[in-house]
Amino acid sequence: MPRTTKNSGRRVERFLVPALIVIFCVVAFWLSTTFKKMPPILKRGIQPSDFPQLLLGLLITLTLAMAWFDPIRIRERLHGKTIGTLVIFGVFAAVTAVDFFLALAIFAALLAALWGERRAHILALVGLVVPVLVFFLFDQVFEIRFPRGLLTNVWYG
Amino acid sequence: MDALLNGLLSLSDPFLLFLLVAATLGGVVIGALPGLNATTGAALLLPFTLTMEPVPAIAILTAIYCSATFAGAITAILINTPGTSASATTCLDGYPLAQRGEAGRALGMAVVASTVGGAISVVCLMLAAPLLARAAYNFSPPEYFALTLFGLSMLASIGDGSPLKNLIAGGFGIFLALVGVDNLTTVERFTFGSYQLYDGIGFVPVMIGVFGISELLVQSSRLDVKREQIRMKSVMLPTRADYAKSWRAIVRSSGIGTFIGILPAEGATVASMIGYNEAKRWSRTPEEFGKGAIEGVAGSEAANNAATGGAMVPTLALGIPGSATAAVILVGLLVHGIRPGPTMFTEQADFAYAIFWSMMLVNILFFFVGLRGARVFARVTLIPVQVLWPCVFVFSIVGAYALDQSMFDVWVALLSGVLGYFMRRYGFSVVPLAIGLILGGMLEQRLGQSMVMLDEKWWLMLTRPLTLLFLILTALALVGPAFWNRKSRRSSTTTSNREGMTDGKD
Repeated sequence: MPRTTKNSGRRVERFLVPALIVIFCVVAFWLSTTFKKMPPILKRGIQPSDFPQLLLGLLITLTLAMAWFDPIRIRERLHGKTIGTLVIFGVFAAVTAVDFFLALAIFAALLAALWGERRAHILALVGLVVPVLVFFLFDQVFEIRFPRGLLTNVWYG
Repeated sequence: MDALLNGLLSLSDPFLLFLLVAATLGGVVIGALPGLNATTGAALLLPFTLTMEPVPAIAILTAIYCSATFAGAITAILINTPGTSASATTCLDGYPLAQRGEAGRALGMAVVASTVGGAISVVCLMLAAPLLARAAYNFSPPEYFALTLFGLSMLASIGDGSPLKNLIAGGFGIFLALVGVDNLTTVERFTFGSYQLYDGIGFVPVMIGVFGISELLVQSSRLDVKREQIRMKSVMLPTRADYAKSWRAIVRSSGIGTFIGILPAEGATVASMIGYNEAKRWSRTPEEFGKGAIEGVAGSEAANNAATGGAMVPTLALGIPGSATAAVILVGLLVHGIRPGPTMFTEQADFAYAIFWSMMLVNILFFFVGLRGARVFARVTLIPVQVLWPCVFVFSIVGAYALDQSMFDVWVALLSGVLGYFMRRYGFSVVPLAIGLILGGMLEQRLGQSMVMLDEKWWLMLTRPLTLLFLILTALALVGPAFWNRKSRRSSTTTSNREGMTDGKD
């Protein structure tokens, strides 16, 4: 039944989040044991691993306390538009390999379309005019060059 | 005295004046846009200020802080949606007033109360910050360590998360600050051999991510929210009767806001809540609150704007941010090579006073902007989110890249944004993460220095009166929220039981 699945999903999140935090802290704690030890004359009060280990121990304690006294409560499922936006983040990351400017333009147009914009001139404004203006603002005013790519090479030569 | 006058003279620079006017207008737009607030605005603009001289750069950020905090009232009153969380209590009476056709009167009171609150807090800032700095001048590493710990412990009570979740978020922020080469021993920590991590995780991309990009993801789930704006003829200055009713609330809330702002990590939101509650408690007509009491608007708005000046006191005098936006401004100071703390008022006094005077000027500027332009700025709330947020994304990502012209910073901003979104989804505030990241390195450094000074006997810290005082305050700040939460939960249960009985009777 869908309702049961939804509830069990939320119950999983309730324990999954503290579990992930604890696993992260345990791994980080283990990594901190691999840090170099300084000889007493150079250690300046504490070893490089002391403070991270103290902090990670505290984080584990707080997370366990949270799981017990103040568990995570999820009221809503992840919104479809949020999932779509996260997917567009992925598209942005992939297109930056080709061209950073192109990735910005595609992201802006796709996001506007995903969020319900259907007017072509608005999509052109968001996906073309805004990135071009930002590009020239940085290039001409702040003298900051975008990373070279398929389109930016045309401008930079 | 010389520094005070030099600071004032620096405002005679036409370029600085132009920037302040532009930043005030920009701040009002940012504050009026639902979803964007002073912190997000300052984080997004931070990279653009890096090429400037320190005074204009920090003056722009403080102008955004003051004017965006005020502008939250515009949307609070006209569309019942606080432009910033600090204006949430303004909705309670501002919107009912607007529904009665008195939006102009409510906005007029918001403008006056915000200006008075902001101006009083800047005067307090001018007086208190140098005094606090002088008091802190003789602090040794153990006192600084305990003070930083106290600042971090205040994270327990801020934001929209629970105390435990806030502390975990803050702890995670401190952990992120430890990535990179250890300043004291030059040992690499959590770098995984990546040279990009040698200098640690940059403050600016993380700020852009957790405040800007995470908000974009939050907005993606609120696309179906319909906002109806109430029409308004013009903003009116309060009448004599309104002043007579509200002046006590304005003065009281200005004091409360300044004090709350001075407390490390407590910002305008808490200030406005307390300011509003106190206005109601001392009012002769408390029954009108929530139905359109002009004192309610005055109490809330005076307090939230007063908190801006208050929050700058620990930020400049001690290097401990007084609020989330102050944390972004602190990053701006550090990036410009200015070290906030006691020495700022001896070595860079002209700079400090230039910032104070520019904040004062901004408070006066948004008085006129609010009176003359609120009607126009109210229209920006009608910009569709599907146009606004793609533009915000382009600006924020290019801003993250511009800092070091590094794609690595872009990935840090994106990942921080996704992390920030999921943190918020699971009830963790992102403000402690940001403050933990800023203060983490400082905390470890001061602990190390203290251990050297005390010959590695940490318990000797307890023999130093000031250190002990800060440690006791830290313990109180950690235990306090849990105690108050329990107490308020118990009282709300009792109230709801009583209400239940009354409902039954009725």
